[in-house]
Amino acid sequence: MRISWKWLSEMVDLSGVGGPQGLAELLTRRGLEVEAIERQDAGFDRVVTAQILERNRHPQADRLSLCLVTTGQGDPQEIVCGAQNMKAGDKVALAQIGAHLPNDVKIERSKIRGVTSNGMLCSEEELKLKEKAEGIMILPPETPLGRPLAELLGRDDTILTLKLTANRGDCLSHYGIAREVAAALGQSAKRPEAPLLQEGGCPITIELQAGQAAPQFFGAYLDGVKVGPSPAWLVRRLEASGSRSINNVVDASNLVMLELGHPVHIYDADRIEGARIGVRVGREGEELPLLDGTQVRLAGTELVIFDGKRSVGLAGVMGGGNSEVQEGTTRVFLECAEFDPKLVRRASSRHQKKTDAAHRFERGIDPQALPQVLARLAQLVQKLAGGRVVGSVSARLDLPRSRAITVAPGWFGDFLGMEVTEARAAAILEGLGCRIEKGGAQWKVTAPSYRRDLSIPEDLAEEVARTIGYDAIHETVPVLTSAPRALSAPESATAASFRLLLRAKELLAGLGLCEALNYSFTSRAWLSKFGMSSSALVVNPLSEEHEAMIPSLLPGLVRNALDNWNRHFGSEALPIRLFEIRPTFRAAEGGLKAQGEMETGAKELWRLAAVLSGPRFAGGLRNELGEVDFYDLKSVVERLFEGLGTRGMRFQPLTASRSGGNPLFHPGQSVEILAGKGDVVGHFGLLHPGKARDLKARAPLWMIEVDWEVLQKLSRTAWEVPAFRAWSEFPPIERDFALIVKGEVSADRISQVALKAGKPLAKVAKIFDVYRSSQLGEGVTSVAVRVIFYEENRSLQESEAETVSAQILNAWKKELGIELRS
Amino acid sequence: MIAKLDAIGEQVLKEISAAASLEALEQVRVSVLGKKGALSEVLKGLGSVGPEERPRIGAAANEWKRKIEDALEVRKGALEAAALDARLQSERLDVSLPSRLPHRGTLHPVTQATRRIVEILARLGFDVMTGPEIETEFLNFDAVNIPADHPARDMQDTFFMGPGVLLRTHTSSVQMRAMRSQSWPVRILCPGAVYRCDSDATHSPMFHQVEGLWVDRGVKMSDLKGVLSCLARELFGAEAKIRLRPSYFPFVEPGAEVDVSCFQCKGAPKAGCRICKGTGWLEILGAGMVHPRLLEMAGFREPGLTGFAFGMGVERIAMLLHEIPDLRLMFQGDVRFLKQF
Repeated sequence: MRISWKWLSEMVDLSGVGGPQGLAELLTRRGLEVEAIERQDAGFDRVVTAQILERNRHPQADRLSLCLVTTGQGDPQEIVCGAQNMKAGDKVALAQIGAHLPNDVKIERSKIRGVTSNGMLCSEEELKLKEKAEGIMILPPETPLGRPLAELLGRDDTILTLKLTANRGDCLSHYGIAREVAAALGQSAKRPEAPLLQEGGCPITIELQAGQAAPQFFGAYLDGVKVGPSPAWLVRRLEASGSRSINNVVDASNLVMLELGHPVHIYDADRIEGARIGVRVGREGEELPLLDGTQVRLAGTELVIFDGKRSVGLAGVMGGGNSEVQEGTTRVFLECAEFDPKLVRRASSRHQKKTDAAHRFERGIDPQALPQVLARLAQLVQKLAGGRVVGSVSARLDLPRSRAITVAPGWFGDFLGMEVTEARAAAILEGLGCRIEKGGAQWKVTAPSYRRDLSIPEDLAEEVARTIGYDAIHETVPVLTSAPRALSAPESATAASFRLLLRAKELLAGLGLCEALNYSFTSRAWLSKFGMSSSALVVNPLSEEHEAMIPSLLPGLVRNALDNWNRHFGSEALPIRLFEIRPTFRAAEGGLKAQGEMETGAKELWRLAAVLSGPRFAGGLRNELGEVDFYDLKSVVERLFEGLGTRGMRFQPLTASRSGGNPLFHPGQSVEILAGKGDVVGHFGLLHPGKARDLKARAPLWMIEVDWEVLQKLSRTAWEVPAFRAWSEFPPIERDFALIVKGEVSADRISQVALKAGKPLAKVAKIFDVYRSSQLGEGVTSVAVRVIFYEENRSLQESEAETVSAQILNAWKKELGIELRS
Repeated sequence: MIAKLDAIGEQVLKEISAAASLEALEQVRVSVLGKKGALSEVLKGLGSVGPEERPRIGAAANEWKRKIEDALEVRKGALEAAALDARLQSERLDVSLPSRLPHRGTLHPVTQATRRIVEILARLGFDVMTGPEIETEFLNFDAVNIPADHPARDMQDTFFMGPGVLLRTHTSSVQMRAMRSQSWPVRILCPGAVYRCDSDATHSPMFHQVEGLWVDRGVKMSDLKGVLSCLARELFGAEAKIRLRPSYFPFVEPGAEVDVSCFQCKGAPKAGCRICKGTGWLEILGAGMVHPRLLEMAGFREPGLTGFAFGMGVERIAMLLHEIPDLRLMFQGDVRFLKQF
């Protein structure tokens, strides 16, 4: 909303506000935020009217002229000019040395092809008066010399741009803002008055057929109107407000809207068929031509204006293309009506007509001002286009309006936490146009008809608070009336999850991974590169890039890795260690559809994912570093699980998968994470070399993805801590075995067999060395195992260890075909 | 014989001080004090000396033996010290070589800012509550007093997922879930991702919010101010002040935009300040007193129940705290960015 300082000052005395800046502060403090203050003469400093005395050819350049120019004072100046449209005697706009034009050009004394130019003759384009201009601006011959151009053009106003909130429909006009300013300054705003029209004598009748959706319609019929261009002051006023002049009749309607805030429409009365006009709900499929040249097909929920034959306007949004005022129109019909905000909004959104009229109707107009607005419109039309009022007509339903708000005056101070005396509250509310019925402990406050946003005591409290100023509200601390809720209480479930989430993130950060943050949506094309698709699609995405809700975190993290590689210069391998813990999305069987108030049909499955690549350490000498490999990756998973106190997760080589593996991972260097009865809840391992090649990955990329919900369930809760476990004070006995393993036997298996056979004395069996060599033979591995024996409560005899060792060797041989290396 | 002892003694002392290594010293020791050493050899001839001479010669021999042992000890100490010195010299490292540095992990600035806000407000009695990101239109809009066909819906351009289903535009959607699942008093913080159709240097289609809601009997607007003031001081420093400006959010009444004083300018706005652009204030959140209609919809019918609510963009706070110039950096997964925080 653009407000003209000059226009506003016709309605309220602004002498005491401290200029446009002061006014902006006043409005902002009251909740009407001023976004920008624009002086119309900005850039017109040192741009004055002048006359060309002589036009000569530039001595060095055929296409340039050398003009001798006077401002009426001092010596004439030589100005170099590239335009061709001027001649000696023309009045022109001269930008003098030091001017800083609206198009940001600074005028300095300069030599142009050897001749000094003492300024510049301006075009309308350079002054941003027009989008495009051929040649310089030639002023009318009667133009006085040496005068500031801004003053001459009437560009001496200041425009304030307001960012109004959706509840303040009453402020969408100069009069509306004047009312606010007047209330703040203790004045009353002056509304432009026009004598109300006498009912009767109108050749057109009105019919209300939409019930409460269109409860009021006022019309007037004028004859003898002469359509033509608007006077300069009106053109300027409209332009200042961001509108464009059309003709004097249409401009009158726009002026009334900008002045009083009520959108009105003017028809060519001769084009209204059957001498009747009215409002009804449109018919589905009905076609309606609009005055912007487009045609809309109605959904059957819009309000339309009709005449004896057809629809002639989309009510509250835009007039029809079949009834608008044209050149040569002499009889006009003025409409000032009230339409339901919701229906106007629906029609304007459905048909993409975000007009100034719809904007105002959506936010609510003053239902009591219609006769006054119509009178003002008739007055302006006559002033601008002549003619006389033939007659006036109206139709209205009596709707119950403005209920009184009951409030105890002492409540304001209690609720706001500030000092508010009864007298002060009354003065504030009355200053804003409210009527107060005092009597007893409660007030009955009736808000003015234009303040449709005031309906409950809290609304009045805001009026009181913003008038006194929010700065006067005290700072207090709210009282705790109950103990904080335990984290283990069922109501705290999401709080506990949030705590665990942070714990996991901190653990991963501690393991040297950085947390990334990717959008929850991506493109379908990107997902398809991973063999994935999304069952949850955004209906109105910003672009294809933001269309599909992610089913996995890995496509995003892999993208991050690729992007980082692409941005990376230099010969050193780039360490990439990223993680995310975020929801992934899918639609349940029935698709995404609201069921009741709380159900969406969407499943949000939180996952934890990470990618690792590059050097094992962040610093150090090159030959010591090495690159991240499977066992580094595994260590991250194990440390994470350990830190979270996770129990019951098992790892299984991807090659042993019973669920068909996972094509994203290298089958021989990846693991399925199993939980419960063997549900696959995650994977870790190497990005499949085939995929890595397709994606142009620069280095091996190690990846983890695991179901965070399951991980959470199998981990310590947010309020649990590890319990102390005592250790044995008696010395252990260690035995090392060098084994010859033939064929594929996993390290895990060797340990498990040892521990089982060695129960209960063998407590630990760990593989500490593995090697293969040609001397050992094809498919043969040498594995070194250390078994540790102890008891919690006594020392062991060597002989016991010997016995158990023999049992273990026996089991290895029997179950795994493993022998001691001789 | 005494003269012989003296000659040997003097000679040995010279040899001891000349010994250049522990091995050489040992040889000297053996050559004089060993079974076949010089001193022993001399003492073997004691039998041929008269009994009256013996004690004198014996005493002299012992005297020399003690002197030699002392000298050996001293010399040994000196040689060992020198050897240690030599070893230390040879074992010297270039301590300026780069360390074998493990990778340092970091939490995203959004996570860090969220955690800080939650920690600060937890001290005042707030609990965390979270909810789904795909939400019903009802909970996102209707339940927070933004009915269908209301112009306030324009304030938040919405991504729709299906009939009546959308990506939540604010975490206010959690408020009604909270109020319907528990009774008052309600003191919750709702952190999480939210979505709006907007994308440029200061708008992202996905961003994060923390919303607070406090409902109890007799809660005042001054309580809201006190809580936000405390939050501002903890986030931006003890001198931070807040300023409330009247504004409109359908779920609160009265409503306010909240500014915090610029932590760079500290009360004296500087024209060139790149944080506040010379205004001295930074807009950080929206707030107000809970609209009675929300309490009604939650089924809270107790008379005298009031509440306050506030919501802030986490990226905005993080950008201010870390002086991050472009919002888009947050979502690019660039390790040069992520490693800094």
